[in-house]
Amino acid sequence: MAASKTPLYEASTQFKNWRYSPQSLAKVRSSLNAAAVAVIRNTFEADEPGSSSAVSFLTPDEEILLVRLYVSKITQLCGFFRFPEEVEATAVSYLKRFYLKNTVMDWHPKNVMLTALFLATKTTNNPISLEAYTNNIPKTNPSDVLDLEFLIAQSLGFEFAVWHAHRALWGIWLDLQNAPDAPPNRAASQSEVYDAALRHVRASRLSDAELIYTPSQIALASLSMASPELTAEWAASKFPSESPSLSMLQSTLGSITTLIESAARPVDVEAVRGVDLRLKLCKNPEKVPGSKAYLAKKAEEDRKAEEKRNRKAAIDAQAMMEEGDPFGDELAGRLVDYDDDDDDDD
Amino acid sequence: MANRMNWLQGKTVRKNTPSASHSRSSSTPQVQSTSSTIFGGGVKDPSGRITEYSSDDDQCPVCKSDKYLEKKLRLLVSSCYHKMCESCIDRLFTLGPAPCPICNKVLRKLAFTPQTFEDLGVEKEIAIRRRVAKEFNKRLEDFSNLREFNDYLEDVEDITFNLINDVDPVGTEARIAAYREANTALTLLNTQREEAYILSLRQAEEQDRKEKEARAEELRREEEEERQEKESGRREIIERLERAEGSDAVNVVRRTKRERAEREASRKGVAPGKGAQALLRARMAAAAATAATKDTPHIPLQDDYYAYEDMFVLQSTYVDPLSEAVRKDREGIMRAGGYRVEEAWERAVRSAVAGLDLWPLESDRDAFQSSHAFDPSGDAIMSAA
Repeated sequence: MAASKTPLYEASTQFKNWRYSPQSLAKVRSSLNAAAVAVIRNTFEADEPGSSSAVSFLTPDEEILLVRLYVSKITQLCGFFRFPEEVEATAVSYLKRFYLKNTVMDWHPKNVMLTALFLATKTTNNPISLEAYTNNIPKTNPSDVLDLEFLIAQSLGFEFAVWHAHRALWGIWLDLQNAPDAPPNRAASQSEVYDAALRHVRASRLSDAELIYTPSQIALASLSMASPELTAEWAASKFPSESPSLSMLQSTLGSITTLIESAARPVDVEAVRGVDLRLKLCKNPEKVPGSKAYLAKKAEEDRKAEEKRNRKAAIDAQAMMEEGDPFGDELAGRLVDYDDDDDDDD
Repeated sequence: MANRMNWLQGKTVRKNTPSASHSRSSSTPQVQSTSSTIFGGGVKDPSGRITEYSSDDDQCPVCKSDKYLEKKLRLLVSSCYHKMCESCIDRLFTLGPAPCPICNKVLRKLAFTPQTFEDLGVEKEIAIRRRVAKEFNKRLEDFSNLREFNDYLEDVEDITFNLINDVDPVGTEARIAAYREANTALTLLNTQREEAYILSLRQAEEQDRKEKEARAEELRREEEEERQEKESGRREIIERLERAEGSDAVNVVRRTKRERAEREASRKGVAPGKGAQALLRARMAAAAATAATKDTPHIPLQDDYYAYEDMFVLQSTYVDPLSEAVRKDREGIMRAGGYRVEEAWERAVRSAVAGLDLWPLESDRDAFQSSHAFDPSGDAIMSAA
């Protein structure tokens, strides 16, 4: 193996920016949750002192639960629209990545899910018109989808390319035909193995597997759940026996398998409903249009913008007085205030 | 009156017809003209677009003969702007100045001009304006300011109006005489300037015409040469075919043509700048040469990634239900954008082996710290990277 060159996968943004250990994943989520809770608590207190003590905020685990429910909703939507598998997998990745940068309490996954799916249709070159999209989803306006689009793209760091496990599984299945002692029509006769493995890959999307392991490992683990013999055969053809990579792969496949198995269990809808009800009470009031805090924040922003404009006008007026000419000097001589934009949202 | 007649007479031009040519006419300047072109009244038109005015209803007011009876009836205009036919003019004025039968003003035979405009008022006005313009030819440069020039122009217009409408003819003529007296030198100078300007215009026009002719000549010569060349080439082929008995005729023709093309090329090369086109081509070639030397070779993005080439061997074909539709598509509609199943396979197999032996992250990574930042409101702020 060429040690000097960067392997393609390790050059990807998926490897660089979206690869976590289980521990770091938990830590990201808990710190995000803690920061959001602190902010929302402050807002409640500012609105009405002492009101926040009664509110029970969501825990990181409850947030994950809610996101998982909406991940499964993506699958349903993709089935309805007959989107290719790639769109579905990409949208799921976007949704999960989004909630590694934001919390459920700020942005409800229902809206984020719709926008993530719409964004995925575009980034995977399966575009659909916004009207056709929203007309087929009840109680959805085009603005609901578009309003969040930039926020999501920004949260994703504009890193839209995703390496998918289902493609890796396809590759493994193709490469299995290349094995020296493979029966000639293995792909045709054992197609149920492939279908079973694909089901496991789909189940893995409900888990955090793609944030921890590489797509090829997830695909191989899915295959191993369908046919351990084929997996062992293929793995042996890729690595020399007794190599440390092979043993590492074995243990990795084991942990992925547990992840997939736990993810395959259906989401407890009642539990999620409970979470959703509580979310109604504890979501960031600044993000709910029409609420007191929302209006307060809006007013605050407006006030700041106004202040800034006034300051700028005062500076301009003063500069004009000093220059003497009420129509200003020639343009080249004027100082340009570069960091003075009116739409900053601090 | 006499004074007034003089200046009108100065411009009077007789048509050079046999009936009008007699001993008296030779003493005045005459301009040659064809029968259809006249230099009537104030209008001088060498281009011949302005013709003498005549209509079928013409009738001589003196002898009452008209076009119907007298096909050759031609009415001329006197200096007092009364029309009469040529025979009447001959009859009345051959023996010297005589009064006009209509207004009794004394006229001479030479004071008759052909008619240009249907309206004799226009005829008169143009004549007067031409005369005035000749006398009053001062320019803006001759005045110290615009105001004076404008005053002068108004004066001139005033005089012109008086002359046209016969308002105070004596006083007006006196004003003209006084002006002429005072500005003889300047008027002469301006006249010369005007003439020089007209001359220069005419010369430029002449120059243009000559150049155009030369170009046309050049073009004609080149075409002729080319034609001759082609002719001689054809003859040459025939001659060679005659001489080369038995050998391949097609070959002979082809060889001859090639030789001729070479000769042609060398001839064009030897005579640089012969035609404007050759020059242009040479220039373009030179420009291309300099551009070629300046342009550094394009280096495409050279990324040096390990693409797991040693981990898989791509087969020429696979049993693959997924891509069956694309492969069975005979018209290639599904492959229209350049889609190749082999590339899709390669990508899949590559992603199957990519990162197989990557250990999952075990502990917190630094990347987590650097790539996440939170602002107080809980919104993510993307790192600069």
